[in-house]
Amino acid sequence: MREPAKAILRFLCVSALIVAAAAALNFIVDPLQLLRPARFTPAMYSADSRMQDAGLIRSQDFDTVFMGTSLAIHFRQSDIDRLLGVRSVKLAMTGADSREQSLVLAAALERHPKRVIWQVDDWIFRNAADSGPDLYLPADLYRRNARGIAGYLLSGAMARESAWMLARSIPPLQPLVARLTTGVLFKFLIPRVDDINALKPDFDVSEAYNAKKALAAFRSAIDPARSAYLAERYNYDAMVRNFERDAVTLIAQNSGVTFDVYLPPYSILQWVAMRDASPATLKIVYDFSAYFARRLTQLPNVRLYDFRAVKEVTHDLRNYGDLIHHSPEIDLKILSWLAAGDVVVGRAAPTATLERLEAQTAAYPLGSIER
Amino acid sequence: MLFNSYQFIFLFLPISLAGYFAWGRLGNLAAVIWLALASLVFYSASNWQFVPLLVASVAFNYAIGLMLISMRLSGRQRFATLTVGVAGDLLVLGTFKYAGFLAANLDAIFSTGLTLDILLPVGISFYTFTQIAFLVDAYRGKVAGYRLAHYALFVTYFPHLIAGPILHHRDMIPQFEAADARRPNPHLILCGLIIFAIGLFKKTCLADGIQPLVPLAFGSGSPTFDQAWIGALAYTFQLYFDFSGYSDMAIGISLMFGIFLPLNFNSPYKATSIIDFWRRWHMTLSRFLRDYLYIPLGGNRRGALLRYVNLMITMALGGLWHGAAWTFVIWGTLHGVYLCINHAWNNYGPAVAPRFARAANFAAFVLTFLCVVVGWVFFRAGSFSSALYILSRMADPRQVALGRAEMVQFAFVAFYAGLAWFAPNTQTIMGYDHEARTVGDVPGAWPARPVFLYASAAVLALGILGIQQYSEFIYFRF
Repeated sequence: MREPAKAILRFLCVSALIVAAAAALNFIVDPLQLLRPARFTPAMYSADSRMQDAGLIRSQDFDTVFMGTSLAIHFRQSDIDRLLGVRSVKLAMTGADSREQSLVLAAALERHPKRVIWQVDDWIFRNAADSGPDLYLPADLYRRNARGIAGYLLSGAMARESAWMLARSIPPLQPLVARLTTGVLFKFLIPRVDDINALKPDFDVSEAYNAKKALAAFRSAIDPARSAYLAERYNYDAMVRNFERDAVTLIAQNSGVTFDVYLPPYSILQWVAMRDASPATLKIVYDFSAYFARRLTQLPNVRLYDFRAVKEVTHDLRNYGDLIHHSPEIDLKILSWLAAGDVVVGRAAPTATLERLEAQTAAYPLGSIER
Repeated sequence: MLFNSYQFIFLFLPISLAGYFAWGRLGNLAAVIWLALASLVFYSASNWQFVPLLVASVAFNYAIGLMLISMRLSGRQRFATLTVGVAGDLLVLGTFKYAGFLAANLDAIFSTGLTLDILLPVGISFYTFTQIAFLVDAYRGKVAGYRLAHYALFVTYFPHLIAGPILHHRDMIPQFEAADARRPNPHLILCGLIIFAIGLFKKTCLADGIQPLVPLAFGSGSPTFDQAWIGALAYTFQLYFDFSGYSDMAIGISLMFGIFLPLNFNSPYKATSIIDFWRRWHMTLSRFLRDYLYIPLGGNRRGALLRYVNLMITMALGGLWHGAAWTFVIWGTLHGVYLCINHAWNNYGPAVAPRFARAANFAAFVLTFLCVVVGWVFFRAGSFSSALYILSRMADPRQVALGRAEMVQFAFVAFYAGLAWFAPNTQTIMGYDHEARTVGDVPGAWPARPVFLYASAAVLALGILGIQQYSEFIYFRF
């Protein structure tokens, strides 16, 4: 064989060897616990829930799925279990649209849970910025097809995590590696599943959630340079279409599962910002909310909760870190409301709470904001 | 189909290479037809609905070109034929790329209520421009006549079809005609593999690696001074490593078939003036705009004032070529202004004393880089107001976060800057000479050393391991 041909062979063999070594490492360590529960190394978890959820669905025992966006991301599974008397898995994903949530829920429902608690925002049903869940979500990991598994095993980033987790599992190295482990290079930093995306005990809640922050977010939202974001990708027909495809179809296909769907308590400023900076968007949201409530209350396996007009929470701006994100105290309140069955939207008057919200928004004076 | 996908690397590329050399035993034409068909398969993998458009475009331009080359037409008839050809191309491009933009602007001005949402065929800007150049050269009598198969391959050749480099028929078709596909050339295949590996690494490890920092400036939040700079610089380096990575991959793939593609990048962020930048950034587009827009407009032949006007028109249209949005026009116009100032400075500015030459050179390098970064803010921002908002944040040092995260992010960006400013580029490493059609032949060059072979094999492995589920090239949108 001539020299360049031999060099090609050597080149390809070395590449293949490195790739195979990385794949073998990923297979053995399995950082996501996608193939089996943690066996060779202690279980570690990542805060990247779009990726981590694929592993949680396979590795955890649960009878209840907790789904949502960033508004549900800080809930602790232990709180959910304690207050609702269930064994839950939290699959909330920051900024996830309805297609992503639906895909992840469908994968979780294959494990036959009894109940789904679903925190829903109206904006998850807007048209996705680009097409489909595959763009942001490693969808093939959830589908568990060959491409998904190959992508997982052939991932260099995952191999880096595997090597690190392996090093961390060797007792003499453990303290040193643990000290060197930071979020800058590594993703799997969380040793307890309950701590995934939960706020740390020493987290300064009053610093993160206060009226000053909520008002700053309000001013930014109504600033003409930024207010276009309020209206971005809102289209009533598309939202209805996406809602039917991603929520109604999924719920109807799983008639044996109870879906507790709840609309979270945004601060009143979110609605006032829309009222003042983008009234057409607010109209779309109201119209969609009415459709949403009527449609869901028709489904026998759905209990719908609307917390958007709970004035003692939504008008107290100290509860918020921006226009919509509420503090962990409100997380607990939501769980207690769900446990008590309060604020259920009745089949007889599905838009009653929406009408209360509309009245509150219309009546909220600008002067209150300045104070 | 993406170059940075398992399907391409493990399936399409080996099959198309094997088929090319197998059919090559029957002769050049069989290999060329195979490669053209493979290119259509490549295109159809993600754009099947636009394959008829691509085929029709090839047939239309070939027919017009044939009329210009072969038929005895009068001067007027020739011009009319060219006009029909170019107008046809621009009509198709305008319909798919700019009709929605035009409708949106008319709606904004006259409240027509008309909106158009037309899907953009990937690569249409690239294959339209290559064919316009062909028609213009045919009109000028600079084309001898090509066989349909060679012409079709020239347009559809998959390494360049989606995002360039913008090819010139005089460069490519003679190579297709002369290509000896009977036997694979192991030296070219090895060099092609290494160049492909470098490009893949640039894309999957470098460009995709820094992408998460871009939303710091361009996301929906309110960035502080340092966050806005981190985001803007991250995009500056992401775009470079993404597009130059793609171009390296295209060159490497083509080399495996024995075809030399023109260079598209020559370390652009090392430029010491905007004129220098445009000789280093997207070089095939710069050449196209110079030869088929700037010079036909009159170039610098009609006085200083018209030269600046021509520059502005060329750059504004170059901006519009990138996308149907005012931000692209503003980006192009901004670079037009930069170029005018640069030319005016060269003509009328003071000469630098030799003892200040190094300092002046360094200042010019920094100023050029800053101007380019400002331009990229318009290029990337969703709207003019968003771009101004980000720039206002970059100009307001009163609000600084500079926490641990920002410091790590700055270090990350600095690493990329070091690569872009100080590392040798791919053609230097590989001794790639497009004009001389040589690669890896420089005595003592890296490719001859065994350690380089193993290091580049590791680079390929890292590139493959860096492939994410979905990571499109930025220039696919143009």
